[in-house]
Amino acid sequence: MADEQKTVDASLPEELALRDEVRWIKSEDLRLFRSLQESMNKIEPAYVATYPPTECGIATFTRDVLQSVAKYSPFSKPTVIAVKRDNEIEPYDRTVRCQIVKEQRQSYLDAADYVNGSAVDIVSIQHEYGIFGGDDGEYVLDLVAALQKPSVVTCHTVLQHPSPNQKRIIQELGRMCDAMIVMIKTGKQILVDVYGIDPKKVAVIPHGVPNVHRVSASSVKRALGVGADIPIMSTFGLISRGKGIENAIKAMPMILKRHPKTIYLVLGETHPGVRKHEGESYRNSLNDLVANLGLENHVRFNNRFLSLNELVRYLCATDVYITPYLSKDQITSGTLAYALGCGRAIVSTAYLYAEEVLGDNRGLLVEFGDPEAIAGAVCRVLDDPALRTELENNAYAYGRRAAWFNVAIDNLELFRRILLRRGQETGA
Amino acid sequence: MEMDLEIKVRSYSGASIIDLVGEVDAYTSGRFREMMVSVIEDGARNLVVSMTNVQYIDSSGLGALVGGLKRIREKDGRISIVCDRPQILKVFEITGLERVFPIYDNEKDAVERTDDTGA
Repeated sequence: MADEQKTVDASLPEELALRDEVRWIKSEDLRLFRSLQESMNKIEPAYVATYPPTECGIATFTRDVLQSVAKYSPFSKPTVIAVKRDNEIEPYDRTVRCQIVKEQRQSYLDAADYVNGSAVDIVSIQHEYGIFGGDDGEYVLDLVAALQKPSVVTCHTVLQHPSPNQKRIIQELGRMCDAMIVMIKTGKQILVDVYGIDPKKVAVIPHGVPNVHRVSASSVKRALGVGADIPIMSTFGLISRGKGIENAIKAMPMILKRHPKTIYLVLGETHPGVRKHEGESYRNSLNDLVANLGLENHVRFNNRFLSLNELVRYLCATDVYITPYLSKDQITSGTLAYALGCGRAIVSTAYLYAEEVLGDNRGLLVEFGDPEAIAGAVCRVLDDPALRTELENNAYAYGRRAAWFNVAIDNLELFRRILLRRGQETGA
Repeated sequence: MEMDLEIKVRSYSGASIIDLVGEVDAYTSGRFREMMVSVIEDGARNLVVSMTNVQYIDSSGLGALVGGLKRIREKDGRISIVCDRPQILKVFEITGLERVFPIYDNEKDAVERTDDTGA
Protein backbone atom coordinates (compact mmCIF):
# COMPACT_ATOMS: atom_id res chain seq x y z
CA MET A 1 0.00 0.00 0.00
CA ALA A 2 1.33 3.46 -0.84
CA ASP A 3 1.99 5.98 1.90
CA GLU A 4 -0.90 8.15 0.70
CA GLN A 5 -3.33 5.30 1.22
CA LYS A 6 -2.02 4.62 4.70
CA THR A 7 -2.17 8.25 5.82
CA VAL A 8 -4.87 9.14 8.33
CA ASP A 9 -6.60 12.48 7.86
CA ALA A 10 -5.40 14.68 10.69
CA SER A 11 -7.88 17.50 10.22
CA LEU A 12 -10.03 18.04 13.27
CA PRO A 13 -12.68 20.49 14.41
CA GLU A 14 -11.25 23.78 15.63
CA GLU A 15 -12.33 23.22 19.25
CA LEU A 16 -9.77 20.44 19.58
CA ALA A 17 -6.90 22.52 18.27
CA LEU A 18 -4.07 23.74 20.46
CA ARG A 19 -4.70 27.23 21.67
CA ASP A 20 -2.11 29.90 21.79
CA GLU A 21 -2.31 33.50 22.80
CA VAL A 22 -1.28 36.59 20.89
CA ARG A 23 1.38 38.78 22.43
CA TRP A 24 -0.20 39.98 25.59
CA ILE A 25 0.89 43.61 25.56
CA LYS A 26 -1.04 45.39 22.83
CA SER A 27 0.14 48.63 21.25
CA GLU A 28 -2.86 50.46 22.69
CA ASP A 29 -1.83 49.20 26.13
CA LEU A 30 1.69 50.46 25.55
CA ARG A 31 0.47 54.01 25.06
CA LEU A 32 -1.40 53.87 28.33
CA PHE A 33 1.26 51.94 30.17
CA ARG A 34 4.59 53.61 29.72
CA SER A 35 5.05 52.75 33.38
CA LEU A 36 4.47 49.09 32.53
CA GLN A 37 7.37 49.06 30.12
CA GLU A 38 9.62 50.60 32.75
CA SER A 39 8.43 48.24 35.45
CA MET A 40 8.73 44.98 33.60
CA ASN A 41 11.89 42.94 33.73
CA LYS A 42 13.60 42.82 30.39
CA ILE A 43 16.04 40.05 29.55
CA GLU A 44 17.46 39.78 26.04
CA PRO A 45 18.44 36.14 25.47
CA ALA A 46 20.30 34.73 22.47
CA TYR A 47 19.95 31.05 21.55
CA VAL A 48 22.74 29.15 19.81
CA ALA A 49 21.33 26.05 18.11
CA THR A 50 19.89 24.58 14.96
CA TYR A 51 16.63 26.33 14.13
CA PRO A 52 13.59 25.76 11.88
CA PRO A 53 13.19 25.28 8.98
CA THR A 54 16.00 22.84 9.78
CA GLU A 55 14.19 19.64 10.71
CA CYS A 56 15.65 18.18 13.88
CA GLY A 57 14.59 17.79 17.47
CA ILE A 58 16.97 20.49 18.76
CA ALA A 59 15.68 23.02 16.23
CA THR A 60 12.08 22.41 17.27
CA PHE A 61 13.03 22.52 20.94
CA THR A 62 14.86 25.83 20.50
CA ARG A 63 11.93 27.45 18.73
CA ASP A 64 9.55 26.23 21.44
CA VAL A 65 11.67 27.42 24.34
CA LEU A 66 12.34 30.78 22.64
CA GLN A 67 8.66 31.39 21.99
CA SER A 68 7.56 30.39 25.47
CA VAL A 69 10.22 32.51 27.19
CA ALA A 70 9.37 35.47 24.93
CA LYS A 71 5.78 35.39 26.10
CA TYR A 72 6.91 36.45 29.57
CA SER A 73 9.17 39.25 28.38
CA PRO A 74 7.03 41.12 25.87
CA PHE A 75 9.47 44.05 25.58
CA SER A 76 12.45 41.83 24.72
CA LYS A 77 13.70 40.81 21.28
CA PRO A 78 15.05 37.27 21.38
CA THR A 79 17.98 36.46 19.09
CA VAL A 80 18.89 33.19 17.43
CA ILE A 81 22.38 32.31 16.28
CA ALA A 82 21.54 29.47 13.95
CA VAL A 83 23.97 26.62 13.44
CA LYS A 84 23.68 25.22 9.94
CA ARG A 85 25.31 22.31 8.20
CA ASP A 86 26.76 24.17 5.23
CA ASN A 87 26.79 27.48 3.42
CA GLU A 88 23.39 27.06 1.81
CA ILE A 89 20.84 29.83 2.28
CA GLU A 90 18.19 28.83 4.82
CA PRO A 91 14.87 30.73 4.90
CA TYR A 92 15.08 31.51 8.63
CA ASP A 93 12.68 33.91 10.31
CA ARG A 94 13.74 37.32 11.59
CA THR A 95 14.84 36.13 15.01
CA VAL A 96 17.92 34.62 13.35
CA ARG A 97 20.40 37.50 13.39
CA CYS A 98 23.65 35.57 12.95
CA GLN A 99 24.64 32.18 11.54
CA ILE A 100 27.33 29.64 12.31
CA VAL A 101 28.42 27.28 9.57
CA LYS A 102 29.09 23.99 11.31
CA GLU A 103 32.58 23.23 10.00
CA GLN A 104 33.79 26.85 9.58
CA ARG A 105 35.71 27.52 12.76
CA GLN A 106 35.92 31.28 12.19
CA SER A 107 32.12 31.54 12.18
CA TYR A 108 32.08 30.57 15.89
CA LEU A 109 34.35 33.51 16.73
CA ASP A 110 32.30 35.81 14.49
CA ALA A 111 29.16 34.76 16.38
CA ALA A 112 30.84 35.55 19.71
CA ASP A 113 31.85 38.97 18.35
CA TYR A 114 28.27 39.58 17.28
CA VAL A 115 26.94 38.72 20.75
CA ASN A 116 29.60 40.75 22.54
CA GLY A 117 28.71 43.84 20.53
CA SER A 118 24.94 43.42 20.80
CA ALA A 119 22.27 44.11 23.42
CA VAL A 120 22.10 40.39 24.26
CA ASP A 121 22.17 39.82 28.03
CA ILE A 122 22.64 36.06 28.18
CA VAL A 123 23.42 33.23 25.76
CA SER A 124 21.57 29.92 25.84
CA ILE A 125 23.51 27.18 24.02
CA GLN A 126 21.68 24.01 23.06
CA HIS A 127 24.35 21.33 23.17
CA GLU A 128 24.33 18.10 21.23
CA TYR A 129 27.68 16.76 19.97
CA GLY A 130 26.45 16.36 16.39
CA ILE A 131 25.24 19.89 15.69
CA PHE A 132 28.61 21.64 16.14
CA GLY A 133 31.75 21.24 14.01
CA GLY A 134 35.15 19.75 14.77
CA ASP A 135 35.81 16.45 16.54
CA ASP A 136 32.73 15.68 18.65
CA GLY A 137 31.54 19.23 18.02
CA GLU A 138 34.48 20.81 19.85
CA TYR A 139 34.28 24.13 17.93
CA VAL A 140 31.52 25.18 20.32
CA LEU A 141 34.28 25.68 22.90
CA ASP A 142 35.76 28.49 20.74
CA LEU A 143 32.43 30.29 20.88
CA VAL A 144 31.95 29.97 24.62
CA ALA A 145 35.57 30.94 25.36
CA ALA A 146 35.18 34.14 23.34
CA LEU A 147 31.86 35.21 24.89
CA GLN A 148 31.91 38.20 27.18
CA LYS A 149 28.28 37.62 28.19
CA PRO A 150 26.92 35.01 30.63
CA SER A 151 26.04 31.67 29.10
CA VAL A 152 23.86 28.69 29.93
CA VAL A 153 24.37 25.29 28.27
CA THR A 154 21.40 22.96 27.88
CA CYS A 155 22.74 19.40 27.57
CA HIS A 156 20.59 17.29 25.25
CA THR A 157 22.99 14.35 25.46
CA VAL A 158 24.77 13.31 28.64
CA LEU A 159 26.75 10.17 27.96
CA GLN A 160 27.48 7.79 30.81
CA HIS A 161 30.53 6.44 28.98
CA PRO A 162 31.97 9.33 26.95
CA SER A 163 35.18 9.18 24.94
CA PRO A 164 38.03 11.26 26.43
CA ASN A 165 37.33 14.05 23.93
CA GLN A 166 33.58 14.02 24.57
CA LYS A 167 34.27 14.21 28.29
CA ARG A 168 36.73 17.08 27.86
CA ILE A 169 34.18 19.11 25.88
CA ILE A 170 31.49 18.84 28.55
CA GLN A 171 34.00 19.57 31.30
CA GLU A 172 35.26 22.67 29.46
CA LEU A 173 31.73 23.86 28.83
CA GLY A 174 30.91 23.28 32.50
CA ARG A 175 33.93 25.32 33.55
CA MET A 176 33.27 28.25 31.22
CA CYS A 177 29.48 28.63 31.37
CA ASP A 178 27.42 30.05 34.21
CA ALA A 179 25.00 27.13 34.42
CA MET A 180 24.07 23.87 32.74
CA ILE A 181 20.53 22.63 32.23
CA VAL A 182 19.51 18.98 32.03
CA MET A 183 15.98 17.67 31.78
CA ILE A 184 16.03 14.90 34.36
CA LYS A 185 17.71 14.35 37.72
CA THR A 186 19.64 11.38 36.37
CA GLY A 187 21.32 13.73 33.88
CA LYS A 188 22.49 15.96 36.72
CA GLN A 189 23.85 12.96 38.61
CA ILE A 190 25.87 11.84 35.56
CA LEU A 191 27.26 15.36 35.03
CA VAL A 192 28.43 15.37 38.64
CA ASP A 193 29.67 11.78 38.89
CA VAL A 194 31.18 11.22 35.44
CA TYR A 195 32.25 14.72 34.43
CA GLY A 196 32.95 16.27 37.85
CA ILE A 197 30.66 19.25 37.21
CA ASP A 198 29.82 21.34 40.30
CA PRO A 199 26.25 20.29 41.26
CA LYS A 200 25.41 23.89 42.16
CA LYS A 201 25.96 24.77 38.54
CA VAL A 202 23.39 22.28 37.21
CA ALA A 203 19.67 23.06 36.98
CA VAL A 204 17.04 20.41 36.23
CA ILE A 205 14.31 21.88 34.02
CA PRO A 206 11.96 19.38 32.37
CA HIS A 207 11.51 19.12 28.61
CA GLY A 208 8.59 21.38 27.80
CA VAL A 209 5.27 20.00 26.60
CA PRO A 210 2.40 21.72 24.78
CA ASN A 211 -0.40 23.16 26.86
CA VAL A 212 -3.08 20.59 26.04
CA HIS A 213 -6.39 20.33 27.83
CA ARG A 214 -7.70 16.82 28.01
CA VAL A 215 -10.20 15.43 25.59
CA SER A 216 -11.41 11.86 25.38
CA ALA A 217 -9.59 9.69 22.84
CA SER A 218 -12.92 8.56 21.42
CA SER A 219 -14.04 12.10 20.52
CA VAL A 220 -10.78 12.72 18.67
CA LYS A 221 -11.00 9.34 16.93
CA ARG A 222 -14.44 10.27 15.63
CA ALA A 223 -13.00 13.46 14.18
CA LEU A 224 -10.21 11.45 12.57
CA GLY A 225 -12.77 9.14 11.04
CA VAL A 226 -11.70 6.19 13.18
CA GLY A 227 -14.21 4.15 15.14
CA ALA A 228 -14.19 4.71 18.90
CA ASP A 229 -13.83 0.95 19.41
CA ILE A 230 -10.56 0.76 17.48
CA PRO A 231 -7.53 0.78 19.80
CA ILE A 232 -4.80 3.10 18.51
CA MET A 233 -1.14 2.71 19.34
CA SER A 234 1.29 5.31 18.07
CA THR A 235 4.92 6.38 17.87
CA PHE A 236 5.98 9.73 16.41
CA GLY A 237 9.18 11.57 15.64
CA LEU A 238 11.94 11.63 13.07
CA ILE A 239 12.40 8.01 12.05
CA SER A 240 15.80 6.33 12.36
CA ARG A 241 17.14 2.88 13.23
CA GLY A 242 17.66 3.70 16.92
CA LYS A 243 13.91 4.05 17.37
CA GLY A 244 13.38 0.27 17.43
CA ILE A 245 10.02 0.54 15.66
CA GLU A 246 10.51 -2.96 14.23
CA ASN A 247 10.01 -4.36 17.75
CA ALA A 248 6.65 -2.63 18.13
CA ILE A 249 5.61 -3.95 14.70
CA LYS A 250 6.68 -7.48 15.69
CA ALA A 251 4.51 -7.10 18.81
CA MET A 252 1.42 -6.43 16.68
CA PRO A 253 0.43 -10.06 15.87
CA MET A 254 0.37 -10.86 19.61
CA ILE A 255 -1.65 -7.72 20.37
CA LEU A 256 -4.10 -8.48 17.53
CA LYS A 257 -4.89 -11.87 19.05
CA ARG A 258 -6.48 -10.09 22.02
CA HIS A 259 -7.47 -6.83 20.34
CA PRO A 260 -8.03 -7.63 16.68
CA LYS A 261 -8.97 -4.09 15.57
CA THR A 262 -5.81 -2.42 16.86
CA ILE A 263 -3.99 0.06 14.59
CA TYR A 264 -0.38 1.16 15.06
CA LEU A 265 0.43 4.61 13.66
CA VAL A 266 4.04 5.46 12.90
CA LEU A 267 4.04 9.22 12.49
CA GLY A 268 6.85 11.29 11.07
CA GLU A 269 9.35 11.39 8.26
CA THR A 270 12.76 9.79 8.11
CA HIS A 271 15.37 11.89 9.92
CA PRO A 272 16.88 14.17 7.21
CA GLY A 273 20.42 13.27 8.36
CA VAL A 274 19.63 9.56 8.05
CA ARG A 275 17.93 10.05 4.69
CA LYS A 276 21.05 11.76 3.38
CA HIS A 277 23.24 8.77 4.23
CA GLU A 278 21.03 5.75 3.72
CA GLY A 279 17.91 7.07 2.04
CA GLU A 280 14.69 5.34 3.08
CA SER A 281 16.28 1.94 3.68
CA TYR A 282 15.12 1.75 7.33
CA ARG A 283 11.55 2.75 6.48
CA ASN A 284 11.57 0.31 3.56
CA SER A 285 12.69 -2.46 5.91
CA LEU A 286 9.77 -1.59 8.19
CA ASN A 287 7.39 -1.71 5.21
CA ASP A 288 8.79 -5.13 4.28
CA LEU A 289 8.30 -6.35 7.84
CA VAL A 290 4.69 -5.14 7.81
CA ALA A 291 4.09 -6.98 4.53
CA ASN A 292 5.80 -10.18 5.74
CA LEU A 293 3.67 -10.23 8.88
CA GLY A 294 0.49 -9.44 6.92
CA LEU A 295 -0.13 -6.27 8.92
CA GLU A 296 -0.97 -3.92 6.05
CA ASN A 297 -4.36 -3.07 7.60
CA HIS A 298 -2.95 -2.57 11.09
CA VAL A 299 0.25 -0.56 10.69
CA ARG A 300 0.08 2.83 9.04
CA PHE A 301 2.86 5.25 8.25
CA ASN A 302 2.54 9.00 7.86
CA ASN A 303 5.81 9.90 6.20
CA ARG A 304 6.09 13.66 6.68
CA PHE A 305 7.09 16.26 9.24
CA LEU A 306 3.93 16.88 11.27
CA SER A 307 2.86 20.25 12.61
CA LEU A 308 2.39 20.59 16.35
CA ASN A 309 -1.38 20.70 15.97
CA GLU A 310 -1.37 17.50 13.94
CA LEU A 311 0.86 15.77 16.46
CA VAL A 312 -1.32 16.76 19.36
CA ARG A 313 -4.41 15.54 17.54
CA TYR A 314 -2.87 12.17 16.81
CA LEU A 315 -1.64 11.91 20.38
CA CYS A 316 -5.07 12.77 21.77
CA ALA A 317 -6.53 9.94 19.67
CA THR A 318 -3.93 7.48 20.95
CA ASP A 319 -4.79 4.76 23.47
CA VAL A 320 -1.23 3.55 24.02
CA TYR A 321 1.83 5.59 23.09
CA ILE A 322 5.02 3.61 22.50
CA THR A 323 8.71 4.57 22.51
CA PRO A 324 10.50 1.30 21.70
CA TYR A 325 13.91 3.01 21.51
CA LEU A 326 17.08 0.95 21.59
CA SER A 327 19.64 3.14 23.39
CA LYS A 328 19.79 2.91 27.17
CA ASP A 329 21.75 6.20 27.32
CA GLN A 330 19.01 8.40 25.88
CA ILE A 331 18.67 11.26 28.34
CA THR A 332 15.75 13.07 26.74
CA SER A 333 12.89 12.45 24.34
CA GLY A 334 10.69 15.23 23.10
CA THR A 335 8.13 12.78 21.78
CA LEU A 336 7.77 11.00 25.10
CA ALA A 337 7.48 14.37 26.85
CA TYR A 338 4.69 15.37 24.47
CA ALA A 339 2.83 12.12 25.09
CA LEU A 340 3.01 12.79 28.82
CA GLY A 341 1.70 16.30 28.21
CA CYS A 342 -1.30 14.87 26.38
CA GLY A 343 -1.97 12.47 29.27
CA ARG A 344 -1.47 9.25 27.32
CA ALA A 345 -0.93 5.74 28.67
CA ILE A 346 2.68 5.02 27.67
CA VAL A 347 4.69 1.84 27.10
CA SER A 348 8.42 2.37 26.68
CA THR A 349 11.77 0.66 26.77
CA ALA A 350 13.72 1.57 29.89
CA TYR A 351 16.13 4.21 28.58
CA LEU A 352 17.31 6.77 31.15
CA TYR A 353 14.76 9.47 30.33
CA ALA A 354 11.84 7.02 30.24
CA GLU A 355 12.96 5.36 33.47
CA GLU A 356 12.77 8.66 35.32
CA VAL A 357 9.72 10.35 33.80
CA LEU A 358 7.61 7.16 33.72
CA GLY A 359 8.44 6.33 37.34
CA ASP A 360 5.73 6.47 40.03
CA ASN A 361 3.27 4.67 37.78
CA ARG A 362 3.27 7.23 34.96
CA GLY A 363 3.88 4.51 32.36
CA LEU A 364 4.96 0.91 31.81
CA LEU A 365 8.60 0.04 31.12
CA VAL A 366 9.76 -2.96 29.09
CA GLU A 367 13.12 -4.53 28.19
CA PHE A 368 15.00 -3.43 25.07
CA GLY A 369 14.35 -5.30 21.83
CA ASP A 370 11.58 -7.45 23.29
CA PRO A 371 8.38 -7.51 21.14
CA GLU A 372 6.73 -9.97 23.53
CA ALA A 373 7.19 -7.59 26.45
CA ILE A 374 5.77 -4.71 24.38
CA ALA A 375 2.74 -6.80 23.47
CA GLY A 376 2.23 -7.82 27.10
CA ALA A 377 2.38 -4.23 28.34
CA VAL A 378 0.08 -2.90 25.60
CA CYS A 379 -2.49 -5.62 26.34
CA ARG A 380 -2.30 -4.87 30.07
CA VAL A 381 -3.28 -1.28 29.33
CA LEU A 382 -6.02 -2.19 26.84
CA ASP A 383 -7.42 -4.92 29.12
CA ASP A 384 -7.54 -2.86 32.30
CA PRO A 385 -9.43 0.46 32.10
CA ALA A 386 -8.57 1.30 35.71
CA LEU A 387 -4.84 0.89 35.05
CA ARG A 388 -5.12 2.93 31.88
CA THR A 389 -6.93 5.77 33.66
CA GLU A 390 -4.35 5.78 36.43
CA LEU A 391 -1.47 5.93 33.95
CA GLU A 392 -3.18 8.70 31.98
CA ASN A 393 -3.91 10.79 35.08
CA ASN A 394 -0.38 10.43 36.42
CA ALA A 395 1.14 11.25 33.03
CA TYR A 396 -1.06 14.31 32.62
CA ALA A 397 -0.25 15.61 36.12
CA TYR A 398 3.48 15.33 35.31
CA GLY A 399 2.88 17.01 31.97
CA ARG A 400 1.16 20.01 33.55
CA ARG A 401 4.28 20.71 35.60
CA ALA A 402 6.31 20.51 32.39
CA ALA A 403 3.96 22.69 30.28
CA TRP A 404 6.00 25.12 28.19
CA PHE A 405 4.84 28.09 30.22
CA ASN A 406 6.24 26.52 33.40
CA VAL A 407 9.48 25.62 31.64
CA ALA A 408 9.72 29.21 30.40
CA ILE A 409 9.32 30.50 33.95
CA ASP A 410 12.11 28.18 35.14
CA ASN A 411 14.42 29.35 32.33
CA LEU A 412 13.72 33.01 32.98
CA GLU A 413 14.24 32.55 36.70
CA LEU A 414 17.62 30.95 36.01
CA PHE A 415 18.60 33.76 33.58
CA ARG A 416 17.53 36.36 36.15
CA ARG A 417 19.54 34.78 38.95
CA ILE A 418 22.66 34.59 36.79
CA LEU A 419 22.34 38.21 35.66
CA LEU A 420 21.71 39.32 39.23
CA ARG A 421 24.84 37.51 40.42
CA ARG A 422 26.96 38.85 37.58
CA GLY A 423 25.62 42.33 38.35
CA GLN A 424 26.58 41.97 41.99
CA GLU A 425 30.06 40.73 41.04
CA THR A 426 30.71 43.72 38.79
CA GLY A 427 28.93 46.14 41.07
CA ALA A 428 26.50 47.04 38.31
CA MET B 1 -9.03 15.25 36.67
CA GLU B 2 -9.87 17.89 34.08
CA MET B 3 -7.78 21.02 34.63
CA ASP B 4 -10.01 24.05 34.31
CA LEU B 5 -10.74 27.37 35.89
CA GLU B 6 -13.55 28.11 38.32
CA ILE B 7 -14.48 31.77 38.57
CA LYS B 8 -16.67 33.23 41.31
CA VAL B 9 -17.53 36.84 42.09
CA ARG B 10 -18.55 38.22 45.48
CA SER B 11 -18.51 41.49 47.43
CA TYR B 12 -16.66 42.13 50.68
CA SER B 13 -16.37 45.44 52.54
CA GLY B 14 -17.13 47.46 49.43
CA ALA B 15 -14.65 45.61 47.25
CA SER B 16 -15.42 43.17 44.45
CA ILE B 17 -13.59 39.89 44.80
CA ILE B 18 -12.97 37.51 41.91
CA ASP B 19 -12.02 34.08 43.23
CA LEU B 20 -10.05 31.94 40.80
CA VAL B 21 -9.60 28.19 41.32
CA GLY B 22 -7.54 26.13 38.84
CA GLU B 23 -5.35 27.20 35.93
CA VAL B 24 -5.36 30.54 34.14
CA ASP B 25 -4.00 29.77 30.69
CA ALA B 26 -4.74 30.15 26.99
CA TYR B 27 -7.81 27.93 27.35
CA THR B 28 -9.36 29.70 30.33
CA SER B 29 -8.11 33.29 30.36
CA GLY B 30 -10.84 34.42 27.93
CA ARG B 31 -13.52 33.67 30.51
CA PHE B 32 -11.51 35.42 33.21
CA ARG B 33 -11.10 38.47 30.96
CA GLU B 34 -14.84 38.57 30.25
CA MET B 35 -15.67 38.29 33.93
CA MET B 36 -13.36 41.17 34.82
CA VAL B 37 -14.87 43.36 32.11
CA SER B 38 -18.36 42.60 33.35
CA VAL B 39 -17.49 43.35 37.00
CA ILE B 40 -15.76 46.62 36.07
CA GLU B 41 -18.65 47.68 33.83
CA ASP B 42 -20.98 46.95 36.75
CA GLY B 43 -19.16 49.60 38.74
CA ALA B 44 -16.34 47.83 40.61
CA ARG B 45 -13.51 50.25 41.43
CA ASN B 46 -11.67 48.26 44.10
CA LEU B 47 -11.21 44.88 42.45
CA VAL B 48 -9.40 42.07 44.23
CA VAL B 49 -8.38 38.98 42.29
CA SER B 50 -7.85 36.10 44.67
CA MET B 51 -5.29 33.68 43.22
CA THR B 52 -4.70 31.67 46.38
CA ASN B 53 -6.10 28.58 44.67
CA VAL B 54 -4.54 29.09 41.25
CA GLN B 55 -2.12 26.33 40.28
CA TYR B 56 -0.68 27.96 37.17
CA ILE B 57 -0.92 31.26 35.35
CA ASP B 58 0.62 31.70 31.93
CA SER B 59 1.27 34.81 29.87
CA SER B 60 -2.27 34.92 28.50
CA GLY B 61 -3.54 35.04 32.09
CA LEU B 62 -1.18 37.93 32.77
CA GLY B 63 -2.47 39.57 29.60
CA ALA B 64 -6.02 39.32 30.91
CA LEU B 65 -4.95 40.97 34.17
CA VAL B 66 -3.18 43.79 32.32
CA GLY B 67 -6.25 44.30 30.13
CA GLY B 68 -8.42 44.51 33.25
CA LEU B 69 -6.02 46.98 34.84
CA LYS B 70 -6.15 49.20 31.79
CA ARG B 71 -9.94 49.20 31.83
CA ILE B 72 -10.30 49.91 35.56
CA ARG B 73 -7.65 52.63 35.53
CA GLU B 74 -9.69 54.51 32.93
CA LYS B 75 -12.38 54.63 35.60
CA ASP B 76 -10.00 55.55 38.44
CA GLY B 77 -10.12 52.09 39.95
CA ARG B 78 -7.48 49.56 40.89
CA ILE B 79 -6.80 45.85 40.93
CA SER B 80 -5.05 44.02 43.75
CA ILE B 81 -3.93 40.42 43.86
CA VAL B 82 -4.21 38.02 46.77
CA CYS B 83 -1.72 35.19 46.56
CA ASP B 84 0.66 33.30 48.78
CA ARG B 85 1.70 30.54 46.36
CA PRO B 86 5.42 30.72 45.55
CA GLN B 87 4.89 29.40 42.01
CA ILE B 88 2.47 32.19 41.14
CA LEU B 89 4.46 34.86 42.98
CA LYS B 90 7.50 33.80 40.97
CA VAL B 91 5.65 34.62 37.73
CA PHE B 92 4.91 38.15 38.93
CA GLU B 93 8.50 38.50 40.09
CA ILE B 94 10.23 37.36 36.89
CA THR B 95 8.02 39.52 34.71
CA GLY B 96 8.26 42.56 36.99
CA LEU B 97 4.46 42.74 37.29
CA GLU B 98 4.85 42.70 41.07
CA ARG B 99 5.69 46.38 40.63
CA VAL B 100 2.49 46.92 38.68
CA PHE B 101 -0.04 44.98 40.74
CA PRO B 102 -0.11 45.30 44.54
CA ILE B 103 0.11 41.74 45.88
CA TYR B 104 -1.11 40.75 49.34
CA ASP B 105 -0.95 37.46 51.15
CA ASN B 106 -4.46 37.87 52.61
CA GLU B 107 -7.77 39.21 51.46
CA LYS B 108 -8.34 41.62 54.34
CA ASP B 109 -5.17 43.58 53.59
CA ALA B 110 -6.01 43.65 49.90
CA VAL B 111 -9.49 45.01 50.49
CA GLU B 112 -8.34 47.58 53.04
CA ARG B 113 -5.18 48.40 51.05
CA THR B 114 -3.10 48.35 54.24
CA ASP B 115 0.16 48.93 52.39
CA ASP B 116 -0.99 50.88 49.38
CA THR B 117 2.07 50.76 47.20
CA GLY B 118 0.45 49.68 43.96
CA ALA B 119 0.75 51.48 40.67
